[in-house]
Amino acid sequence: MASREVIVPKNDKLNVSRNFNLPHSPGIRAGDFIFLSGMLSTDPATGERSPGTMAHETRQTLANMRHLLESAGSSLERVVKINILIYDMLEFDNMNRVYREFFPKDPPARTTCGVQLSAGMKIEIECIALAG
Amino acid sequence: MAAGYGWVQSAAIRAGDYVFVSGVVAVDPDTGERLNGTLTSEAHRAFRNLQLVLEAAGSSLGRLVQVHAMVYDRIEYDALNRVYRQYVPEGPPARTVWSVRIIDAFKLQLDAVALA
Repeated sequence: MASREVIVPKNDKLNVSRNFNLPHSPGIRAGDFIFLSGMLSTDPATGERSPGTMAHETRQTLANMRHLLESAGSSLERVVKINILIYDMLEFDNMNRVYREFFPKDPPARTTCGVQLSAGMKIEIECIALAG
Repeated sequence: MAAGYGWVQSAAIRAGDYVFVSGVVAVDPDTGERLNGTLTSEAHRAFRNLQLVLEAAGSSLGRLVQVHAMVYDRIEYDALNRVYRQYVPEGPPARTVWSVRIIDAFKLQLDAVALA
C-alpha cells in the first residue's frame, strides 16, 4: 500500500493550514507524488497575507511554493501539473510574465481559471509534483 | 450513484496507487434524487457519498490526498470548513476551494484524489 504523509514548510510562518486553523494540510506526499493545497501570497517573515499587484502575488506565491516543495525534497522542476486561479482573466499576461521566470524550461502542464478568491487576493496556485 | 443519475462518467477510476473520483454532489445514494439544501446539509451528504465511493474502491476518507471543494459562492467558506473538518480530522488532504457554478443548482461539489 502506497504511503501517505503530511508535508509542511520548513518555515513555520508559511504553514497557513495550521496558522489560520484551516482543515487542510500544506501538502500530502502520496506514493510518488506530492499534492499541494492552493497557496495565496503570504509574507514568509510574518506569515500574514501579502496582497499586491498580480506580479507581486504571483512571485511571492511561487517562491513559497518552491520553499514548500524543497522542504519535502522536491522542487519546482519536479512539478507536473499546476492549477492557477486568478480573480480576473484580464491579468493573465501579468501573471504569465512572472510565471515564466520560475519555469524557464519544460514548464509543467497548467490550467488557468478566472474565479472568485478570498480576502481580495488576486491569485491562488496549487500543484502536483513528483516527490524527490 | 453515477450510473443511477444517468451521467456519462464513472463514479471513480482506480489507476495504480490512486483512486480518481468524479465530482460528488448531494444526491440520495439509493435513488439518485437531488438533495439540494443549505451548504451545510449538502456538505454532509456529499461527504457521505464520497465516503461510499471511496470505500467501494477500497479506499477511505483517511486516504484522501487532494480535494477540490467547489462552492457556488465564496461567502460559504466558513460554513464549508465547519462541516469539512469533521470528515477529515487528522492529517487532512491538500485542498483548494474553487468558487464556481455547479450543475443542478448544487451548492457544493467535491472533486477528489485518494490513495487506493
